[in-house]
Amino acid sequence: MAEKKQARLTKVLDYLKHDDPFSKGVAFCPGCGLELLLRFIPRVLGNDIVITGTPSCSAPVLLGQNNQSWHTLSYFGTLMTGAAANATGLVRYYRKAGIDNTVVCFNGDGTANDIGFGNLSGAAERNEPFIYICYDNEGYMNTGIQKSGTTPFGATTTTTPYGTVSRGKNLRRMNLGLKMAMNKIPYTATATLSDLDDLAKKLLKAKEAKERGFCFLHVFAPCPTGWGADPADTIEICRQAVKTNYFPLWEAENGRIRMTKTVKKPKPVNTYTKLMKKFNHMTEADHVILQDDVDYEYCLLGGLSVLEAECQLPVSVKDQGETS
Amino acid sequence: MNTTTTTQSRIKVITGNAAAAIAAKLARPDVVAAYPITPQTEVIEQISTFHASGEMDCELITVEGENSAMNAVMAASLAGGRVFTASSSWGLVFMYDAVLAVAGARAPVVMVNVNRETPGIIAVSSGQQDMISTRDAGWIFLIAEDCQEVLDLVLQAYRLAEDYDIQLPVMVHYDGFFLSYLSEGVDIPEQETVDQFLSVLKTQPKRTVLHPGEKLGVGSHGILGGYMELRHKHVTAMERSKAKFEEIDQEFADIFGRSYGGQVEEYRTDDADIVLLGSGSMCGTIKAVIDEQREKGERIGLVKIRMYRPFPHQALTAALKGKKAIGVVDRSLAFGFDGGPIYTELKAFETRMDGAKLVSFIDGIANTDITKTNVEKMIQMTRDLADGKDVPEVTWVSYPDANTKGGK
Repeated sequence: MAEKKQARLTKVLDYLKHDDPFSKGVAFCPGCGLELLLRFIPRVLGNDIVITGTPSCSAPVLLGQNNQSWHTLSYFGTLMTGAAANATGLVRYYRKAGIDNTVVCFNGDGTANDIGFGNLSGAAERNEPFIYICYDNEGYMNTGIQKSGTTPFGATTTTTPYGTVSRGKNLRRMNLGLKMAMNKIPYTATATLSDLDDLAKKLLKAKEAKERGFCFLHVFAPCPTGWGADPADTIEICRQAVKTNYFPLWEAENGRIRMTKTVKKPKPVNTYTKLMKKFNHMTEADHVILQDDVDYEYCLLGGLSVLEAECQLPVSVKDQGETS
Repeated sequence: MNTTTTTQSRIKVITGNAAAAIAAKLARPDVVAAYPITPQTEVIEQISTFHASGEMDCELITVEGENSAMNAVMAASLAGGRVFTASSSWGLVFMYDAVLAVAGARAPVVMVNVNRETPGIIAVSSGQQDMISTRDAGWIFLIAEDCQEVLDLVLQAYRLAEDYDIQLPVMVHYDGFFLSYLSEGVDIPEQETVDQFLSVLKTQPKRTVLHPGEKLGVGSHGILGGYMELRHKHVTAMERSKAKFEEIDQEFADIFGRSYGGQVEEYRTDDADIVLLGSGSMCGTIKAVIDEQREKGERIGLVKIRMYRPFPHQALTAALKGKKAIGVVDRSLAFGFDGGPIYTELKAFETRMDGAKLVSFIDGIANTDITKTNVEKMIQMTRDLADGKDVPEVTWVSYPDANTKGGK
């Protein structure tokens, strides 16, 4: 067992071919999932990427503070409303000027799923040649833990508090990754921090696929501060999210879905929810609703992957690569 | 406008929108973002046609909304590109957060805004309210009177925006419907002439741009002391743009044979004792009425605002100083003030105009025509004011009820 773990670790380290461009101590909360992801991306993709970021948890570090930067990457601090359009402007000019580039548009779920979804959708339609990465911490954490479109059913946030009338968020979370895969873009994938070799592979695949157009990575990144979890449990939360099928790992090339990790005996969702306080108040009946949702989404994913395999991919998708 | 033919050119009868599209093509932008809105749509249709036929070698981004249009050209501009986009009314409003960000980033974006009302979805009509609602965004605003000036101003806008000493976004405004769809003869310059006019920019130092691997950041988070410095530099660059625009107008005249006079254009003001102050397409009508009234001995002139932001108060006071009365014609409203926006702004400089009296006229909003009859009425009231008669401070020229009922 120990040998297996060692082999796995070596495999991950093999992907880290580049320096960590970030300062050793940065202004993230202890156990922040976003920090691990943010450091990981340039170590895999290289330090010559151009990264764009918006007002969010990533902003203080990614965009620098008081004219001082926490890292040595080229970056563009932009607005939540137009993040994907900014990245579009960059890649289009670089293409016109013949400048090789890997542009990473790095945003939270608030930008990706909510306020900036219109231009994310537009960039997908036009098949813009860059990599969009959404770090999903299931809410607006930087402004103080408010509900977003990816906040799950039952979760308490400061805008969906638990009270005598309310039991936390009373709505389902949206499946952002699947929404994007349905656009038949060259590459879509989900990933998380308990499976870093999987994440590294997907980053490299995206780097290759962006030569053909738009790539979208949906990365599950826990927020111990906002979720009421032990900072030491960040990776365990990711692991249980995968093992309960709460956040399944899959990829889709040209929209063709393929599971990259199959869980043989998925655990009940409460093995995941019990790791944090945001679900503390949930009754058994509430858990049934959440479990139902998880099962349905997973079933749909499986169904789609089977269906996709049976359908002939249209020429328009196979030959895509022309941005218009 | 003084015209002398010094270069090879061809005159074509085209709309204001076509003039804007042709000017954009002649400026050879690297990236154009396009999203339709009435009455701007023809601009992006024409550019799309140029792009489709290979006449225009640019990256054309057919975005899914105006907000993305402004965000895309902002980033392309900060990466080093020459950019263009066009909008109007609600489109300008929908891109407003990015309009502010472009100014703050000092990105030399050039766009045209085809003026249209903004009070409601039904207001698909001409008016400068969209311009007024965005006047303090930190952009340079230029206003065209006719289709020729639309073309000329877009070319001049690139010289101004991308000048190393300026580096500010420029918005060229022209009246929707009245100019966007009006066809008139436009002298279209040759590509080589435009290249020559813009070539000065290539000799200037390179501005800082965002390229991969160069360890440069744009849009830092929470700058404390530096923010004051950046804003002050922005304000001083705006102020510098006034003299720069005069220089560019001169150089433009040398190359193209057309001069407008820079920040403001004066029409028959030399011996005039009363003056109308206007902007945009209304100035054509005002000039025609002035010519007629001059025949009758009325000493009336026109001062036309070409540069609205920064506010050209030095040029305006120089032109208006010593006149007996000035009638300011506004095609928009300034809520909280009785008079129009340009009137209220000019009021701040009243003491520098050696006793000239000011009066406000509001007309031409919601597509109403500023007719010759209306202009005659304005001239008469301005004359009455000069003669010491009692004239209301504000007159809604096409809406007498406003004046009699006091708007109740």
